[in-house]
Amino acid sequence: MAAEQPIIHIEHIAKVYTMGGEKLYALRDVSLDISPNEYVAIMGPSGSGKSTLMNILGCLDTPSSGIYQFNGLDVRSMSDNELAEIRNKEIGFVFQTFNLLARASSVKNVELPLVYSGVKRAERRERAEQVMHSVGLGDRMEHKPNELSGGQRQRVAIARALITNPAIILADEPTGNLDSKTGKDIMRLFYNLWQSGNTIILVTHEEDIARHARRIIRIRDGCVESDLPNEENEASYSEAI
Amino acid sequence: MNILESIVIALDAVRAHALRSFLTLVSIAIGIFAIIGSGTAISSLNATVTKQLEAMGDAAYQIKRTPSIQMGNTWRKYRNRKALTYQQAKEFKKLLNIADAVSIGNTTFGITVKNGNLSTNPDVSLHGVDDAYFITNNISLSDGRQFLPEDIAAARPLAVIGNDAAVKLFPRGNPIGQSITIKNQRFTVIGILTSKGSMLGQSQDNEVLIPISNLMKYYVDEWEQSVAITVKSPGKDALEASMDESIGLMRALRNVKPWEDNNFEIETGESLSTQFATFTSYLNFFGLGSGLVALVAAGVGIMNIMLVSVKERTREIGIRKAIGARKSWILMQFLVEAITLCQLGGAFGIGLGLGGGLLLSSLLNAEAAAPVGWIIFSVAACTVLGVAFGLYPAWRAARLDPIEALRYE
Ligand SMILES: Nc1ncnc2c1ncn2[C@@H]1O[C@H](COP(=O)(O)OP(=O)(O)OP(=O)(O)O)[C@@H](O)[C@H]1O
Ligand SMILES: [Mg+2]
Repeated sequence: MAAEQPIIHIEHIAKVYTMGGEKLYALRDVSLDISPNEYVAIMGPSGSGKSTLMNILGCLDTPSSGIYQFNGLDVRSMSDNELAEIRNKEIGFVFQTFNLLARASSVKNVELPLVYSGVKRAERRERAEQVMHSVGLGDRMEHKPNELSGGQRQRVAIARALITNPAIILADEPTGNLDSKTGKDIMRLFYNLWQSGNTIILVTHEEDIARHARRIIRIRDGCVESDLPNEENEASYSEAI
Repeated sequence: MNILESIVIALDAVRAHALRSFLTLVSIAIGIFAIIGSGTAISSLNATVTKQLEAMGDAAYQIKRTPSIQMGNTWRKYRNRKALTYQQAKEFKKLLNIADAVSIGNTTFGITVKNGNLSTNPDVSLHGVDDAYFITNNISLSDGRQFLPEDIAAARPLAVIGNDAAVKLFPRGNPIGQSITIKNQRFTVIGILTSKGSMLGQSQDNEVLIPISNLMKYYVDEWEQSVAITVKSPGKDALEASMDESIGLMRALRNVKPWEDNNFEIETGESLSTQFATFTSYLNFFGLGSGLVALVAAGVGIMNIMLVSVKERTREIGIRKAIGARKSWILMQFLVEAITLCQLGGAFGIGLGLGGGLLLSSLLNAEAAAPVGWIIFSVAACTVLGVAFGLYPAWRAARLDPIEALRYE
């Protein structure tokens, strides 16, 4: 396992906000390696810095100090355009609040990353429809986000994250706005994605959700408190869901 | 990145804020309308007047006390000029050699002409002319005869009337030989002018000619004492020589010292149309100026709309950036949106301006001239406007931090 180059390598990452002259550490000192086809859950109390870490991993935010290498490349020295390209091609980000374009149909939302990577219209549409089918929304192509249920919206968001075949999928509390039954459906989707070879990091503060992952990182006050493999037997787990 | 994609998004955004977009569109339309409208009207006017002036012939010129077209505050400059009197003009006519014909005329406006209890409106132009007037001004009659030299010399009470007076005062019969009354003086009608139609909405047949000797005697105030002399030179080649002789002669008759400027004006059809062109260029400048002011106001409106739009769509921008939109794409999207908005307004204004301009020139009975240059100008102006006033909002959108934009409530 260790022989493989990690997709994500961070060392002593810190994120500081200065508020009214006072320094506030959202992250103090975090070091991690994430390898291909890992399934990681990040847990921790509210305000511990989970979202901050995810945004940095997703190249949406930049750390105040530390090292971040994505596929061996130094992220902190990248230009805005290079970061945009990494976000576009290498990372699929799923948000707690879905973050879909309200006025575009679901299939248009799913297509959007391909617009920015310059894929032609016909191919775009074909791939978007394919991914929509794979998340079980083949019959909701032309629905606008406000014409969909919460779980369906999150599926659209996941489809959008998947469409560029990213190296890694980052999900910040993807079930946080969903009821437990719908949350379970979404988790089954992630499980299947992992089974078919995707790398997944998801943030949650529900133990029930974290059980699905194969590695659990606990964060407290901007530091890694523990980083352990999930002891639960995978076979019994897959039966459970 | 795809421009077409941006235009579709832009049109969508315009539709989403229909009222606000519409209001800005209207102000752009007004700006473009002012420019196109005045452009259309003026080029129509120009085409018509130039044609009329050319009809005057290129071998004729006029000598007058003051210029025909005056711009700005020139009253001071000319008020001390001595009158160009009928006496002086007669002397001039007698002495000038290089000329086919020399006519002396003067006009008073706002005259009422009567035949018994039939009366014209008080808007007839009463021209005092001589026999040569029909030659120098290419005047033809549809009926009757012209004035003879002895009619002028003896100040006979005769009149040649325009078509309007003929129709109005003599609805049933032939006016020739009948008499008309102008301010209690009786005149016998001896001829009827060929109809000239109308120009810029005004009938050109609303006129009556009488011998200049009569006009000077009965109808002109002291301040209208000056006459105008029209000279028809023997041909275009002789024009310059003829004008030189006229100037010398006139200076001598009016006692102009060698070091003094002419105290009269000498104008050819060509010089008149140049003067007219200067005059319309002022009008053009005015239309352009007021249009530009409206456009700048519209530009500020555009900037405001775009700033509000950027603010309202902060999350959208955050989402687009989060899934990989580059700065340049966001910039382009909002720029295209601003330009699209401007072009919509511009198209609206072009339609309004062309329609208005054509309507105006048809009201004025001028020839319609569609200024293609103006349309190109408008499209260009709208693009510049969109870029100039859309750039700042677009730049604000482009440089938004993705994570802050996503957090925006
Ligand atoms: N833009 C910001 N300015 C100042 N402080 C911030 C900012 N963003 C986050 N923080 C602070 O950083 C700390 C970590 O925030 P973060 O959102 O990462 O927590 P979290 O673990 O995701 O919490 P939750 O479980 O509630 O989502 C918090 O104390 C928060 O107040
Ligand atoms: Mg969070």
